[in-house]
Amino acid sequence: MSTPAIELLGVDFSYPGSGAGVKGVDLAIAPGELLAVIGASGCGKTTLLKLIAGFLAADRGTIRIDGADMTAVPPRLRNLGVVFQSYALFPHMTAWENVAYGLKVRGVDGSVRRSRALATLDLVGLADFAGRRPGDLSGGQQQRVALARALVIEPRALLLDEPLSALDAARRLTMRDEIRRIQREHAIATVHITHDQEEALSMADRIALMIGGRIEQVGTPRELYDHPASRAVAAFVGHANLWDSRILAPDTVETPVGILRTLPHGCATGARVTVLVRPERVVPGPARDGVNGFAGRLLRDRFLGAMRRYDLAVAGAMITGETATSGPIEFVHIPPADIRILQDRP
Amino acid sequence: MAWVTGLYLAYLFLPMGLLLVGSFGDAWFNTLLPTGLTGKWYTAVWDDRTFQRAFRVSLQVAVATCAITAAVGLPLAYAIYRTASRGVRAMARVVYLLPIAVPPLVLAFGFVLVFSSDELPYLGSIWVLIGGHVVLTLPYLLQTLVGDMRHLNLAELESAAESLGAGFARSFIDIVVPALRHSLASGLIMVAALSIGEFQLSNLVAGFLTRPYPVVLLQAFYGATGFACAATVILLVLALAAAVGGALTVRGAAAARSVAA
Repeated sequence: MSTPAIELLGVDFSYPGSGAGVKGVDLAIAPGELLAVIGASGCGKTTLLKLIAGFLAADRGTIRIDGADMTAVPPRLRNLGVVFQSYALFPHMTAWENVAYGLKVRGVDGSVRRSRALATLDLVGLADFAGRRPGDLSGGQQQRVALARALVIEPRALLLDEPLSALDAARRLTMRDEIRRIQREHAIATVHITHDQEEALSMADRIALMIGGRIEQVGTPRELYDHPASRAVAAFVGHANLWDSRILAPDTVETPVGILRTLPHGCATGARVTVLVRPERVVPGPARDGVNGFAGRLLRDRFLGAMRRYDLAVAGAMITGETATSGPIEFVHIPPADIRILQDRP
Repeated sequence: MAWVTGLYLAYLFLPMGLLLVGSFGDAWFNTLLPTGLTGKWYTAVWDDRTFQRAFRVSLQVAVATCAITAAVGLPLAYAIYRTASRGVRAMARVVYLLPIAVPPLVLAFGFVLVFSSDELPYLGSIWVLIGGHVVLTLPYLLQTLVGDMRHLNLAELESAAESLGAGFARSFIDIVVPALRHSLASGLIMVAALSIGEFQLSNLVAGFLTRPYPVVLLQAFYGATGFACAATVILLVLALAAAVGGALTVRGAAAARSVAA
């Protein structure tokens, strides 16, 4: 296996006084990989980025960049491209001067500097705005300048701190593709911090989910969605029916909505577990073989364009389902293959 | 709403308007408005040696005060802004805002006590006057600078510069100072205007030959009304000019620097 672009080994950091921070972080980002770090606000994801960038110094552990120990190296010598949440563009410089600044610091000659800055602005589609100051650019344009500024120094990796959170919804979608395209073209290892799980699912090669300063699970978007390591992961990634349940038999589990037939799950009888059913796996109408069918009363029905998300009250509990069909829903069934059993209890 | 605004504006500008009218009036005794039109009061102020000197002193003091507050204020504001501890920041804020809360009179008595002692017999020197003005005006500059540093999110701009390879000195010169130039300009406008209009402290610490304009102006009120009005209008113009001049200097310097870069 090749050397990871960024590697964290047993990294601890806590803010003096508050105790918040990150604990025991082990993480490796492969060359050219886009790793999204997601989690609720305050989970330590931005702290993690600051540790990699060098703005914070780890209390314990090692941070390697391209195999070299960078734990004690100041940010200016790490050669990482950072895009800040607020973009942090220099207000007194034009777009191209902002982009060229990293080259200026590196002593690149004036004319070379300018042409490279302009070429990078062209790459992000902003060649026509090179002479404007940040104050005269829209949020999306500022975002692109910030990206160009981080890219022009040919960094060893790209660190993006909530880069899309300040943009409106439509702009955010195009920038997702844009960032992905540029990241692919440069084959540059990227750490993308976001609280938007949909953004992470759609962009990332792998996702690291952080909860309370620890990395809860790292995996491909599919792995996180289909095989969450814990209830917390299942709850954070996508929508989910999560039921506190008890194992009745090797293929039966008792949930608040009723008794469910599952595939053989291998859990001990009597064990307390969490049952996960993704809403899109809940099927309106009865199953052909009559398994796992539930009649209920429709509590809420939300029209979301391509599909509707509904809540069905069943025996004092609730099943959330998603369907593209229209028409009334009084009965649903859950195919046994779509039931996941999570070992941890709430 | 409109009439409240109108009333307030009238209240604000009426005295100034009357001053202007009075300064061009030939005579003004027991009438609503002065009689006759003349420019003689301005010539009289212009020819008055005492006023000439006071005018010069005021300009010197204002320029020196601006220079010193800028030189002291920028690093100080930066240090306050970058202090990690919230407690220290709050305390620094209380300390630097103290001169606003304390009446200038109190400060002046302190100056009189200290600088009339045998060890420090400097009362009456223009430097004591400048020192007093620096103490009185620095809080306003600090307030402006610290507020704008927070508003600009200066710490993040510095982080960005750092990630691009700039060391502390480099990013201070390339990023911090230029990013704050407008802030510095508006702060210095306030400093210049305050310094030129300052009376309480100046009246007590100024020597006979270093009396600034407002102190000398007080004497004019015992003379002809027209003369007093003209002298006051000059002070008004002076304060405005200092403010505008201060702003232009800083902007010009910043523009020159960015062209050179």
